[in-house]
Amino acid sequence: MNIAPRKLSLAEWDDRYDQLTRAGLKEPGYGGPLRRHVAKERDLRLQHLRFDNSAAALRLWNFLLTENERLHQARARGDKIVGTMKDLGTVPIMAYSLPGVRAFYPDGAWWTPCLMECSDRLLQQAEALGIDASFCPVRAMLPAFQNGEHFPRPDLLICSTGAVCDDFSAIAQRLETLGHSILWWEIPRRRQPDPQEASCALPGNLFAPQVQVDWVREELQRVAQSLGELAGQPLDDQTLADGIQKANEVRRLLQALRTTVYSAPGAPLPALEMLVAEMLAIHFCSDRAETVAVLGELLAEAEKRVQQKQFVIGADAVRIFWVNPVADLRAMNLLEDWGGRICGADYMFTHALDLIPENLPPLEALARTALADPMVGSTTERAARIVRECRGFHAEAVVVSRIPGASHCAREGAIIREAVQKTLNLPTIELEIPPVCDAMLPTLGSRVQALIETARARRKS
Amino acid sequence: MKVFYSSPWVPVEWIEAHGLQPCGVWFAEDLGCGALSLSAGVCAFSEAMLRFAETHHDSAVIFTTACDQMRRTFDTFAGSQPAHAFLFNLPATWQSPVALRIFRTEIERLGRFLQAHGGHAPTAKNLAQIIERRSQARKRLLELATRCSARQSAEAMARFHWDGSVSVPDHPTPPAAGSIPLAIVGGPLTASQWSLLQTIEAAGARIVLNATESGERSLLPAFRLENVSDDPIGAVARGYFENCVDVFQRPNTRLYSWLGERLTARGVRGLVLWVHTGCDLWRAEVQTLRETFRLPVLLLEADAVPGGSPREANRIQAFVETFK
Repeated sequence: MNIAPRKLSLAEWDDRYDQLTRAGLKEPGYGGPLRRHVAKERDLRLQHLRFDNSAAALRLWNFLLTENERLHQARARGDKIVGTMKDLGTVPIMAYSLPGVRAFYPDGAWWTPCLMECSDRLLQQAEALGIDASFCPVRAMLPAFQNGEHFPRPDLLICSTGAVCDDFSAIAQRLETLGHSILWWEIPRRRQPDPQEASCALPGNLFAPQVQVDWVREELQRVAQSLGELAGQPLDDQTLADGIQKANEVRRLLQALRTTVYSAPGAPLPALEMLVAEMLAIHFCSDRAETVAVLGELLAEAEKRVQQKQFVIGADAVRIFWVNPVADLRAMNLLEDWGGRICGADYMFTHALDLIPENLPPLEALARTALADPMVGSTTERAARIVRECRGFHAEAVVVSRIPGASHCAREGAIIREAVQKTLNLPTIELEIPPVCDAMLPTLGSRVQALIETARARRKS
Repeated sequence: MKVFYSSPWVPVEWIEAHGLQPCGVWFAEDLGCGALSLSAGVCAFSEAMLRFAETHHDSAVIFTTACDQMRRTFDTFAGSQPAHAFLFNLPATWQSPVALRIFRTEIERLGRFLQAHGGHAPTAKNLAQIIERRSQARKRLLELATRCSARQSAEAMARFHWDGSVSVPDHPTPPAAGSIPLAIVGGPLTASQWSLLQTIEAAGARIVLNATESGERSLLPAFRLENVSDDPIGAVARGYFENCVDVFQRPNTRLYSWLGERLTARGVRGLVLWVHTGCDLWRAEVQTLRETFRLPVLLLEADAVPGGSPREANRIQAFVETFK
């Protein structure tokens, strides 16, 4: 039965789930109706979101929303759990190369206040621990560590430091002070090689001095040593090379998915599902093999829809390039309600989307990938990639989404917008999305609609 | 040529040995003057630094990677005047050999930058002399701090960062006997903000430890000089790397050890935490400072009004009163 793609509310998904089940839907162990997450996990925000109606999207959401549960199950089975923080994409590849080791980002707790509509009071608890609202919502991870009610306490905590956000660095330090020992590794601020200096190509059309790559490689060697000790098996080159190959399988699927969805005339998948899909790249949502299956289904669904010219968002929608992840997932729904669609994004981890070189010694390859992080280099270089992708995906406007309290947001928006305006002459806006944005809807709506109207007006002229 | 720098962990001996004049911005009278039109979240010190750099076209400016705000301020400045700006990568870690190598490589790179801006290649002999002179100056400044008011001491330390001199106040004003011993800890305290120290002392306290960015924390102990002729860069790198005490370091235990020794030795009864709005690194330490040292902590945010507002004075008075 061919059902036209559209977005459904949670209530509508109840019926859709019954329909799919009756039609013989086969689900993995974490499957089930979406509504159960509201009752079980108090993920109240789901009641205000709208979801793609495909079975592939159902699997994606169930995969995302059962992560903590799956981590607890893995712990119960005897797996070692690694909390890896801030690097967004590098250390998990090392961890998943080893048998019986799972890595996750405690940073991901920044979406818990959104999902639970702040009913968990994590942000207030963070304040009681000394980290108030002047910090990014990632502060939610601090009480999540303390109360143990969300993710399991990791067996090993690893955090990159150096050229990272101050909020995160400060919160992670507070975490360590509270008794959670951290293995810190240095990621230097990436710079352009000097004229006489040995230079090294990085993924994402970037370059860095070879000496910086060498430093990061040595730091990752320290990380590898600790992971090996935890696993009871050394993380040797062959093991890591296999892990890189598997990570690249995920990245290839994501690249295909992004190209299919963002370059299609209409949007075959909604912005929200694409955001979640992209997030899978950083630590495979705690299950690498399942990530491949989830992305494979999504890609098949997107390709089918494009072939059948069936879109969730029509071709008339204004093509928006989005910068930075949103603290409230609902914002992605709203953008589409207001007449836009996502045609590309930089959610702060573009280095986790690029293929890792497989023709290099594996730690060298990972060091180059880690240094290609858009957040450790100059904002100008980040802006250059945004411009390139805007051009490639025919963006008509750019939204720079500020993360409340995040130190990098104070200046980067102006630099990115200037680059976009100068090079592409596209309209841009900067807006801030809090963990629950309902109270700001009138303001957000009028700003985004103004941008969309401007972009539409330019079509006519 | 003047080389302005914004962090006490930029090796000034190295700059001076290149025949250039290192100037720490904390003393600059034109730093942060006038209203700053800050967009949300921008640290006022980083904005002041940007404005300052933009108006000193004939000088070089050194930013550091100590915080996200300063890194991106460099991005903004380097976008318009890349030739005059240098970003010194200060490693956050300090327990691995890589961190020291990063520091050393940055010193070498800084040397190339300085030579491109009119500096000459340093000689080991000259460098050793500069290191020795500055070590002596720092020692004198530490002694001076016990004999004069907090403002006089802050001014003397900032002047040292500005021109390398030690200027003894004509009339040193020792703190009043019986006043409450406090420490001020935190980020940059610039010339326009020194009257804050007078406000604290007027409220009946005395600052027995100035651990702001250009305060006592910045007065490095004497370097080991035994290898300076064989490896001058190594001597400078180790001198700074081994003695750097700051909030951006991970872990930040060095800062707490450094503070702990001095707070105990000087009988400190309360802490004033000096934080610029938008500075996450210092702000996040409020609770840890309280828990670690079991001392009352007053959080003061750098105000738009230079030298403190009536509200600020009122808070300081109330804080000091609690000890009486």
